[in-house]
Amino acid sequence: MTNTSAPFRSVKDIPAEEYYRSGHRTCAGCGPAIAYRLLTKVAGPNTVLLGPTGCMYVANGHQFLTSPYAVPWFHTQLGGGGAAGIGTAAAFRALMMKGKRRMEDINVVVYGGDGGFSDIGYSGLSMAMTYDYSRLVYVLYDNESYANTGIQASSATPWGATTTFTPSGKVRKLGNERSKKNVALTLAAHPGVKYVATSSLYPPLDFMNKVRRALEADGPAFIHVLTPCPKGWFFEPKETVDLSRLAVETGSWLLWEYDSGEFALTHRASPRKHAREYIRRQGRFSHLTDDEVETIDRMIEEEKKYWEESDRLKRLVLPWIRPPPRTSVVSH
Amino acid sequence: MVTRTGTTPTAHSVSTKTVQKAARKEVWTGTRAVAEAVRIADVDVIAAYPIRPYTGIMNDLATMIANGEFQAEIIVADSEHSQFEIVKHASAVGARVFVGSSGVGATYAAEAIVVTGLSQLPVVGIIGCRALDDPGNFGMEWNDALMYRDVGWLVSWARDAQEALDMTLVAYRVSEDRRVLLPQFVAIDGATVTHIASSVEPPVENDVAEFLPRYELPYRLDPACGPVTKAQHIAPSLIGPEQRKVVDVAMKNAREVIREAWNDYARYVGREYAPFIEEHYMEDAEIAFVTMGAYSKDAVYAAKKLRSKGIRAGVLRIRYWRPFPSQELRKALEGVRAIGALDFSYSFGSADHAGAFFNELRSALYEMQSKPVLMDFMLVGGREPSLAHFMEAGRLLEDATKLGRSKKMVRWLTLRGDDV
Repeated sequence: MTNTSAPFRSVKDIPAEEYYRSGHRTCAGCGPAIAYRLLTKVAGPNTVLLGPTGCMYVANGHQFLTSPYAVPWFHTQLGGGGAAGIGTAAAFRALMMKGKRRMEDINVVVYGGDGGFSDIGYSGLSMAMTYDYSRLVYVLYDNESYANTGIQASSATPWGATTTFTPSGKVRKLGNERSKKNVALTLAAHPGVKYVATSSLYPPLDFMNKVRRALEADGPAFIHVLTPCPKGWFFEPKETVDLSRLAVETGSWLLWEYDSGEFALTHRASPRKHAREYIRRQGRFSHLTDDEVETIDRMIEEEKKYWEESDRLKRLVLPWIRPPPRTSVVSH
Repeated sequence: MVTRTGTTPTAHSVSTKTVQKAARKEVWTGTRAVAEAVRIADVDVIAAYPIRPYTGIMNDLATMIANGEFQAEIIVADSEHSQFEIVKHASAVGARVFVGSSGVGATYAAEAIVVTGLSQLPVVGIIGCRALDDPGNFGMEWNDALMYRDVGWLVSWARDAQEALDMTLVAYRVSEDRRVLLPQFVAIDGATVTHIASSVEPPVENDVAEFLPRYELPYRLDPACGPVTKAQHIAPSLIGPEQRKVVDVAMKNAREVIREAWNDYARYVGREYAPFIEEHYMEDAEIAFVTMGAYSKDAVYAAKKLRSKGIRAGVLRIRYWRPFPSQELRKALEGVRAIGALDFSYSFGSADHAGAFFNELRSALYEMQSKPVLMDFMLVGGREPSLAHFMEAGRLLEDATKLGRSKKMVRWLTLRGDDV
């Protein structure tokens, strides 16, 4: 029942049709909006989109009752993404199996943020990975904070980043003291999962091809896409894709896929750039000392070995890195 | 209807089955009876999560589906929140859905329940009424279901297993009516309805097929229906009040639709109910109990005993909590001198520290021409009341008719120790 489509090899392969159109009011340079546009180009017209509360809910509508969606779209609650996808896919399956609706492939894509999928809706997302609906894809657009509420830390906020809940103060200087949760890794641990991948807005086409693979995986599928946020990370709107590139080139964000139990790094940063080239471009890290930036680079280097080993074995090896120095009022 | 595993029955096969079982009698618990209603309604998507006492419905449905007795997607959710989100979204696609919960399970799902009402999706669910935690308590209270009195859900209360079955079928008919399109909870009292087996006559499936048309949601979330955008974030100044008014009108429309549906139910299935309130011994009543659910039977028995002692007692059983039958109650209670709520709810700190049930009733009766004495007999905490409690309530109402007022408006009847 699943058709395999041709991969996107150049920008010329990208369909001209838009399904995420004008009519939204996202910030200039919004990373999640760019990914949304690309994802809907891959999914095409026979798609239902579901939007948990977050930037991609609030900023995509609002003032004038406009809708940017040229395919069916329905809101779901911040923690409801996993369940919304299952309910929608279950309805289509039931109606088709019972002869109440014509049989056909319909894509169901849930586009949720890091708050919605790494925190409040994590349990529902995990449930979703245990069901076997085909053409049901969960995409986590990760701007590393609750951005539409004014940049509060989520469990996907990186170590050392300032947010309004984790400011750098006179006594507690570091900002966010927790390490970023690797959501994709935990979802790959679900036994029935068919496709899990990480992606970003760089290299070009990486995300679109992964969406294509996920839609055709014939089972639970998840993509964690890093989408820089000018407002929350404090950089110029024109630099969004540059920041994606630097995240990948410094190894701050690794691109991999786990396809029916087989792991592969899909892009290698070689030689890897020093983390400072990524970190120092963002205002949210401006308070970090050079030592702290070195700590970040050291952690990237240590973790990288595990990913290289996973790639060699084609199996996931659980990374473990020495945690950053414990932060306390005394040491700072 | 028998369907062998491996075959794919269509929606139609339910209504065109030529070999029908004759009207039969079963001895079923309330949960088993509701499961039968869900099967007969040919529900498409079910979401389950366990919590006593409603769970038995899902156990029975899972068994029916496993045995091929009917076809539906049954999702075992990771929480009640997911459970209610699942059915909300399935309903938006055009599937007929079923869900349920009890006690703190129903409160865990609060957010998903609220948005289902306010986005006007005709989900049908059961609340098997149970005391809220803490402490954990299997006893029966109404607060779990009453929590959803304000958010666009129809809420009805069944008296026994038979009515739980009938009310579930009627709930689909009313909720899915285009004049309404609101979700509905059928509340069934924990233990007394959920777990007590009694005689049930399941309706004949052909009759129900005529009574309950196929679910056809306008503006389905389906690419075949075009790019519907649903529940987009809005500017409050633009359509905020108008959106709320749509829900208000739907709830007002429900009153007429409920009346029609029960008339039709009697016509097609042959069992009659008064739609909003059921009256017992009310013709010449001087005192009246007003209540809902299973204990109304005890109240009727108590009224009979009180009458044998010369006290003219009557009983009103409310069947719909939303929409609340204010006019019907005022009419039926006109001339009654003292009215007592048999109230399995609390509302700590509310007006006169009474129960949520009582205060709603009192607010509706404020517009009455006669001003009867109103008393709240609270039966909270899950301790089972006995006939003696209802008889005591009757005597207190009788005293109030003599005094022209009550000595104490709110009484905790089943409490041991001082009712301070």
